[in-house]
Amino acid sequence: MPSSHVKAALSQLKNKFEEDLSSLSVTFKKLKTYGTCRRLIVLCDLAIKQEDKEEIIVGPPKAVAFAEDGTFTQAAKGFAKAKGVSVKQLQVLKTKKGEYVGLKKVKKGKLTKDTLSSLVPQIISSLTFPKMMRWEESNYKFSRPINNVLCIFGGELISFTVAGKSSSDSTTGHRVYFPQKLKINSFQKYREVLDRKKVIVDQEKRRRVILNQIERKLIPLNAQLLPDEELLEELVYNIEHPYVFLGSFPENYLSLPLEVLSTAMKEGQKLFSVVRGSKQLPYFLGVADAFRDSKSLIRKGNERVLKARLEDARFFWKEDQKIPTGKRLESLGEVVFQEKLGSYKDKSQNLKKIVSYLADKVDAGKTKKELMQAAELCKTDLVTEMVREFPSLQGKVGGLYLKAEGYPVSVWKAVYEHYQPTGSDDASPSTLSGALLSIADKLDSIVGLAGVGIRVTGSKDPFALRRHAHGICKIILDKKLCFSFTRLVDKMLNVYGEKLECSKEEVKSYCSEFFLSRLQHIYESRGYRYDLVKAALQAGIDNIYYSFLRLKALDALKTSSHFEPLILITKRVNNIIQSQPPYKLKPDLLQEKEERELYTTFAIIKDNVLPIIARGDFTRAQKIILSIRSSINKFFDDILVMAEEGKIRRNRLALLQEISKLFVHIADYSQIVVEEHNKD
Amino acid sequence: MTIQNLVMALQRFWSEQGCYLAPSYDIEVGAGTMTPDTFFRVLDKRPWKVAYVQPSRRPTDGRYGENPHRVQKHFQFQVIMKPSPINIQQIYIDSLTALGIRLQEHDIRFDEDDWESPTIGAWGVGWQVLLDGLEITQFTYFQQAGGIDLFPIPVEITYGLERLEMFLEGKDNIFDLKWSGDVKYQDLRYLEEKEFSEYNFSGANIRILQKSFNLWEKEAQSLLRKNLPLPAYDICLKLSHFFNLLDSRGAISVTERVKFIAQIRNIVNQIAHKYVSKES
Repeated sequence: MPSSHVKAALSQLKNKFEEDLSSLSVTFKKLKTYGTCRRLIVLCDLAIKQEDKEEIIVGPPKAVAFAEDGTFTQAAKGFAKAKGVSVKQLQVLKTKKGEYVGLKKVKKGKLTKDTLSSLVPQIISSLTFPKMMRWEESNYKFSRPINNVLCIFGGELISFTVAGKSSSDSTTGHRVYFPQKLKINSFQKYREVLDRKKVIVDQEKRRRVILNQIERKLIPLNAQLLPDEELLEELVYNIEHPYVFLGSFPENYLSLPLEVLSTAMKEGQKLFSVVRGSKQLPYFLGVADAFRDSKSLIRKGNERVLKARLEDARFFWKEDQKIPTGKRLESLGEVVFQEKLGSYKDKSQNLKKIVSYLADKVDAGKTKKELMQAAELCKTDLVTEMVREFPSLQGKVGGLYLKAEGYPVSVWKAVYEHYQPTGSDDASPSTLSGALLSIADKLDSIVGLAGVGIRVTGSKDPFALRRHAHGICKIILDKKLCFSFTRLVDKMLNVYGEKLECSKEEVKSYCSEFFLSRLQHIYESRGYRYDLVKAALQAGIDNIYYSFLRLKALDALKTSSHFEPLILITKRVNNIIQSQPPYKLKPDLLQEKEERELYTTFAIIKDNVLPIIARGDFTRAQKIILSIRSSINKFFDDILVMAEEGKIRRNRLALLQEISKLFVHIADYSQIVVEEHNKD
Repeated sequence: MTIQNLVMALQRFWSEQGCYLAPSYDIEVGAGTMTPDTFFRVLDKRPWKVAYVQPSRRPTDGRYGENPHRVQKHFQFQVIMKPSPINIQQIYIDSLTALGIRLQEHDIRFDEDDWESPTIGAWGVGWQVLLDGLEITQFTYFQQAGGIDLFPIPVEITYGLERLEMFLEGKDNIFDLKWSGDVKYQDLRYLEEKEFSEYNFSGANIRILQKSFNLWEKEAQSLLRKNLPLPAYDICLKLSHFFNLLDSRGAISVTERVKFIAQIRNIVNQIAHKYVSKES
């Protein structure tokens, strides 16, 4: 099985067994899952049988069940008969509705071995994979064909059938060394036997073995591995018995950039690059599914294949550079970005306009010219041989070619970085230019595609737009960028102009909602409380970075003693003004001392706090608005908001509405759940 | 080991597995999958076991005989087993052992590689097999062909003969391989690679290719109407080859590429349906 499938299956197996065993009342301990590319393993301590269950069957009320002389009535006898018991077994049950006659039956728990024989095949059949296949007569679907199912409980074989295969009490060892059948009667034996037969069952142990062996090879070289967690993870699951080997390649290939070398090593052969600092050394480390390489055949074979790949890469590197990047722009007109939206040449013309706008908004005017040049050239590497051979190098290759042609660092680096971050673990661009180009490129795709009706729905996301949106948000947060999201979307809609089929308003509201849901996801996955996230986001996401500052301010406040009073004040205010139409505040109508005092305090706070909010200091803003507390408490204590006289009442409501409006500039506190409310 | 010994060893092994040893097909194809012995025979419900050498042409891979690994024509050893035996992976491993490869001294890996051929509406799930990092075989459980969900599921095993031979001889250059005891790959193939690369990249007349494509496409449609799916399919193979040549001449833009492929697939899917309805 592919390693991504193994990982997906292991987490599903854990969840499903936990859920199903609990709901079947089978007590379990120490549920663990292990896996290799050829095995999915669930290990668990199970009770010998299901828990017994007491079942209560309520019959007629006591008054109806007994005659005056204390004997059972016809009603009681009928009930007993219907349930297949004698009247003697009936007993009086005390219920909430009074005393009834009924039965207590103990339902004996099923033996676990019987439970397992239906549960295990059912769970195996419920596993889902990114891509499923059929291979046998019943059209069973799984990741790859199921060759063997081993199921043992209490030393005994549990019998069932999955995908036309009867379960067995045997397994096989390493594919090459020990393909013979091995009898198994316990997990301990399974692990021991397989260990001898060159299969390390535990993925964590395999990872340690790989890392230790790598370390041992690197120390004498005084070198490091070019870190690649993704590759390591893949190898951990792809291999049943890791054996690390060190190989080398001719030094003349070191003239290729590190990015190209490491990609040529990683893709296909899955080799690690060996570096010292940021310098590539003429070595690689491979992980074989073996336990030795006594004749060095594995190493030599890999060296030979790698040399051929590097030769190809060097050929592409030279050939591509015969055409200057500027000239490549023309052929971009032939590469379709999206049928209705045009080619990548069109896209890069759009990006040029957008980054020019964006540069002004974030005070990057100085590098605007270079940024526009980067935008125009950023997609040219799509028509290079190198990217055709190594698609994952897109952007990087373009940047490197520009660098070699002598473009300034602000241009080539922006191109180099503009696909970043490519995943949630990937870093944002290191330069501001790269960051702006990346945002422009990704948002341009989201807006343009939404404009021709291509949107993310449920599991459908063919253009990876969710990842784009996450990338944009990550960059904004990492780089602390402040600009109006809505106006940027507006700008993009104008740039696309007639090409779009949907109305601007529709696309804008879709984008806002899409980003709202993405931000919520991002913040919650960073561990923020969902209600704080909501409170921060409800204050608006036009400035995405501010939504994060709001959230941080709320999160810092949550442990302080001011937190609850602030929430309670806003709740109290909101309770009164909710479902009221907006009123206009007339300060001269405020007569009572407490309301005048509240108004004065409010006016001072407002003057002070608005500039602080505008510069995004929400922590301080919160502190300031808290000082309204005593005035507002006095107001509520002594003033009847719902005064009889209409204009007085409306004016008091208007004052509270103004206060509420000011608060919402910081956060929508009414979204926050206060612990006390949960207690009752 | 020579290439012809390798072929004979594979033929012996797979005929012992019950395969019929087919001759190579006589029309240009990009891969063994496209020949009728695979394409049509996987569509119906009857068991089918076949093995054959198939020359495969990929015009864009031409390197004028100057690249030690890439050639515009190479040789595949194609195996189809339908239904796929449950222990097929082990059988495949045994076939390598039968070639004298001592797997205990090597690293054999099955890496995820799902295969797809949009031109003939086919896809499958499987692996590429790497031997000490060298890709020697494509291993695929077909799921669909000609747009039809297949049942029973066939397995396709495609050995790259040159790759495998380079491994066996320990050679770095394809042209150094021995076809027989005294005939080298160089003797048989070098001039051909040189001239055909020239033809693929500059010699072929684009207008003639385009005209031929249009002409033969009409013919395929007309054969379909005459209820002759087998000849119609032969014409589709020609279309596919014209398309590949146009591509290597750089005469196809990205948008056109999608259109060409859809055109061929459309006919191939109709052929597949016609064949199946005739068979049943």
